[in-house]
Amino acid sequence: MSSPSSSLSTYSSFSLSRIWTLATNTVTQLLRMKILVFLAVFSVIVVAAGFSFPAMSPEQQLKLLKDVSLGALQIFSMVIAIAATALLLPRDLEDRTLYTILSKPVPRYEYLIGKLLGVLLLLGGGLLIMDLIFSSIVWLKQSLIISNQIAALRSEQQDVPDNIAAIKAFTGQYGLTWSLHAGVWSIFLKASVIAALSLLISCFASSTLFTIVVSLGFTIAGHGQQLMREWFVSKLSGFWEQTIGLVMTLICPDLSLFDLVEAAIRGDVIQLAALGSVTGMALLYIVGYTAVAYLFFADKEL
Amino acid sequence: MTFRPWGMSKGLASSNNFGFITSMETNNSNAAVEVSSLTKVFKSGMRKTPLVAVRDVSFTVKTGEVYGLIGPNGCGKSTTMKIMLGLLKPTVGSASIFGQSSEAVGSRQNVGFLPENPYFYKHLTGRETLHFYGRLCGLAGSELKDRTETMLKLTGLQNAATRRVGGYSKGMLQRIGLAQALIHDPRLLILDEPTAGVDPVGSRTIRDLIFELKQRGITIVVTSHLLEQMQEVCDRVGIMSNGRMVREGKIEDLISVENQTEIILEDAPDELIREIRQLVDKHHSRVVTLGKPRTTLERLFIESTAQTDDREAP
Repeated sequence: MSSPSSSLSTYSSFSLSRIWTLATNTVTQLLRMKILVFLAVFSVIVVAAGFSFPAMSPEQQLKLLKDVSLGALQIFSMVIAIAATALLLPRDLEDRTLYTILSKPVPRYEYLIGKLLGVLLLLGGGLLIMDLIFSSIVWLKQSLIISNQIAALRSEQQDVPDNIAAIKAFTGQYGLTWSLHAGVWSIFLKASVIAALSLLISCFASSTLFTIVVSLGFTIAGHGQQLMREWFVSKLSGFWEQTIGLVMTLICPDLSLFDLVEAAIRGDVIQLAALGSVTGMALLYIVGYTAVAYLFFADKEL
Repeated sequence: MTFRPWGMSKGLASSNNFGFITSMETNNSNAAVEVSSLTKVFKSGMRKTPLVAVRDVSFTVKTGEVYGLIGPNGCGKSTTMKIMLGLLKPTVGSASIFGQSSEAVGSRQNVGFLPENPYFYKHLTGRETLHFYGRLCGLAGSELKDRTETMLKLTGLQNAATRRVGGYSKGMLQRIGLAQALIHDPRLLILDEPTAGVDPVGSRTIRDLIFELKQRGITIVVTSHLLEQMQEVCDRVGIMSNGRMVREGKIEDLISVENQTEIILEDAPDELIREIRQLVDKHHSRVVTLGKPRTTLERLFIESTAQTDDREAP
């Protein structure tokens, strides 16, 4: 048998393979904790929302379906981001699994990146599946509405191509569009920022419960961050206005920046530039929080 | 001596190749571990006084040696080990592994660690656990696969390889812990209470494994409360108390009673005993003890359970 030491002779201070091993292990860990039960609950909500309220107008029915489904998607993704991330580090520390991992040639930053990447993979995979379910239901609902409307036109002998095209264009605007996927992408970005923030909190937190409570607090505050900033900053001016505004933005993420969902529900077209800007902002937050998390974790006494 | 893996017949074990490197890579320095003037102070809350866990401890472990760190609970053994592994930073002093600072992550490339009462990811099976740790050590492909199977065989966990670690007994956790510590064929093995919670048969097997690894040139640092076993396996020991190293040296130097000699006779008739006594008196010496030696309870347990093969099922 070949000697394993041959492959161990060189140590690299950054290894994508080690990060991927930690990330995939995190995904398996969370999957086997049955965290994706949320998926089933989400599917039930979408199906229920899709076939309720038949008395409403077609565009209202589609709007309500999108409203309920994307709302559920937001809540689930945020809950998974907080709960899943909060469980990881404190549990590894409590179970002393961290000792066996960090006593291997694994730098602490790789451990953190691997754990966060695992949560992001789970969130991304979960949201992709939910997006597929959601899109299918919206498409089905949209098709049903269009065929009902065409049938109604036919009964009135108004089913000329122009009318049919107008119905398809009008209903399609409230139905399945690329903006809906952009909305789901913005939900993923928001959940990713919350996961990075939870990871940072878990680096100095003493327990899973503390991490969950504090992360939840920051998530709620993050949604009202703009309001808070306006309230504080309106009483100040010049240098202090800018400094306090910046500090508040750094400490508490402005989660309203990622709210593209409303526009998607309204049927507005979400521009690629807006999506790129939101993605960049999320990346900045994720990298920033992970870097600060490492500063705490690097000196943590295990 | 031939190490016999758990649940394996003697004949099978003797012909088995465990995949260890038989010839050690030579290091420029003869020291595998060097701990120098090590002090560790844990800062606690504002009102509490800082806790000095380790005070000015220095020792060296030579390459290929089995070194035992012994002492009562809370004497600083585990803290010293954690500093050697880079899990804690020293307040004063330093620790190095094969000449590299223990704070450098690269120093862990050559180290295998079994913590006290180890826990692993409950959601993984035994085989998945070894794959996980092997990958973290840079193993991949057929090398990882071979090494995993070798370790499962070595620790007698082949039959439990597909079971989730969450369902393992304490002894089995200790074995999978040993397997993960050895997965990358380290040059230094650090074992914190490796026999804690393990039955006497398992405990004896771990002792045999330590002998086997020593023969293959692996340096071992071990802590245990089973002093009889430590006496059997260690070349040198350090005794810690209240964070200080109070005694250190070779076992025989520390425990031999210089002015006494022990002779154990087999099938000696009463007449011979009488003559020996007379000789002793003639030379103005003194018989301190005379009687029949007893087997140990551990040995009796192992012999009895080996007869009925009543060992822990994997």
